[in-house]
Amino acid sequence: MELESSSQPRLAAGCRWAGEGENRTIVFPEGALRLEQTARVVLELCDGKRTFDEIVRELERAYDKSDPATIRRDAARFLERLWQKKVVEF
Amino acid sequence: MQDLPLALIAEITHRCPLHCVYCSNPLAMASAHAELSTEEWQGVFEQAAKLGVLHLHLTGGEPLAREDAAQLVSFAHACGLYTNLITSGIGLSERRWHDLVASGLDHIQLSFQDSRETSANWIAGTRAHALKLSIAAMIRQSKVAFTVNMVVHRQNIERLDEMIALAESLQPQRLEIAHVQYYGWAWKNKQALLPTREQVAESLDKISAAQKRLMGIIRIDSVVPDYYARFPKACMGGWGRRELLVDPSGKALPCHAATVIPRLEFENVRQRSLEWIWLHSDSFQRFRGEDWMPMPCRDCDRRKLDFGGCRCQAFMITGDAAATDPVCSLAPAHGLIEQELLHANRGRTADHSSQKSEHAPLWVYRAQPG
Repeated sequence: MELESSSQPRLAAGCRWAGEGENRTIVFPEGALRLEQTARVVLELCDGKRTFDEIVRELERAYDKSDPATIRRDAARFLERLWQKKVVEF
Repeated sequence: MQDLPLALIAEITHRCPLHCVYCSNPLAMASAHAELSTEEWQGVFEQAAKLGVLHLHLTGGEPLAREDAAQLVSFAHACGLYTNLITSGIGLSERRWHDLVASGLDHIQLSFQDSRETSANWIAGTRAHALKLSIAAMIRQSKVAFTVNMVVHRQNIERLDEMIALAESLQPQRLEIAHVQYYGWAWKNKQALLPTREQVAESLDKISAAQKRLMGIIRIDSVVPDYYARFPKACMGGWGRRELLVDPSGKALPCHAATVIPRLEFENVRQRSLEWIWLHSDSFQRFRGEDWMPMPCRDCDRRKLDFGGCRCQAFMITGDAAATDPVCSLAPAHGLIEQELLHANRGRTADHSSQKSEHAPLWVYRAQPG
């Protein structure tokens, strides 16, 4: 499935955050993911309300030294990979 | 510094209404009167959360055989643990399910024995299949994450496509296809359960086709039969490295089957803290890290991937718990596995389900704890 501009990604059923701050981890039925900072920021924006476009805009603001096209592409790849693992739904 | 555990497997009871022939519970089960009380389990969960444990897997036996299952989930949830109930479903009324959901249950895993009722009931030694189907429908009505677990072996693997289709119809987020591992009752029934090479190869093809077809809809995880693998499984993610198990009577074990290993004393959570057991007990240190490793593990590049395999399996097959897991193609004792496979692959595939009553019993059913 292709992530679209209007997709509203969210954590899939059975996946949730655990821990605090730097140690925040995504916990799902058979494991956990400790994410590096950028990945954590992306996933924290996936609240099921923001669209993918809105997420990318927020990332562009947070990482204003990076190329916007790269941000969009990397964020899409990351979320599609998590969709395959059933960690993210959209 | 020693890593702390990430997951706690709580076998809260060995009582179970099913008698599955592949059950991994030990043959010597903890009796009902030896079980930890509600408060004792709660103390264990609290300690686990403080140690940094993320996942709590509530299992048994049948965890729902304990009246306080929802109370335990609720307490664990309040401690911040991710709660997973591993169940046959038997004992799950609408009211109890409602209580579990309200308690903050994160995930439920419901097991099936076959796609067909007669055979499923034959394998479970009880009439449970139809009930499980209605329980699956009830679970699906809620928002709790849902995994269907299909246990496959020599007697049902021919119906794997049907089993996958059944799982699809139940609409879980996740499907686990688990080849039987030979511990406990499954060890006793190994001859009847060990699939042929052809069956295994076919099942792996079917699984990978289903994974492609259902990508993003149902996540399919499969547990491969390690007798046919080239390298052993990383049992428990390494001895005393990631996970620990507490049995119904409070005994803390590094692996489900660890009590089979002789001259290894296991501490009880009634006497010692979980932290002390994890960090200081002889049993958790015995096969931790690499110092215990024999050749060829000691020099093997894979030692950080599979940790030498399973200690219990090594003991059961070779008589030495410190031997390389014999399922490994590099293990000195691998010939013992080859012999077993030779036997399993002799003659034609036997599906005994249609002629079971005319012959000597194919297997023994799991008993109840005394």
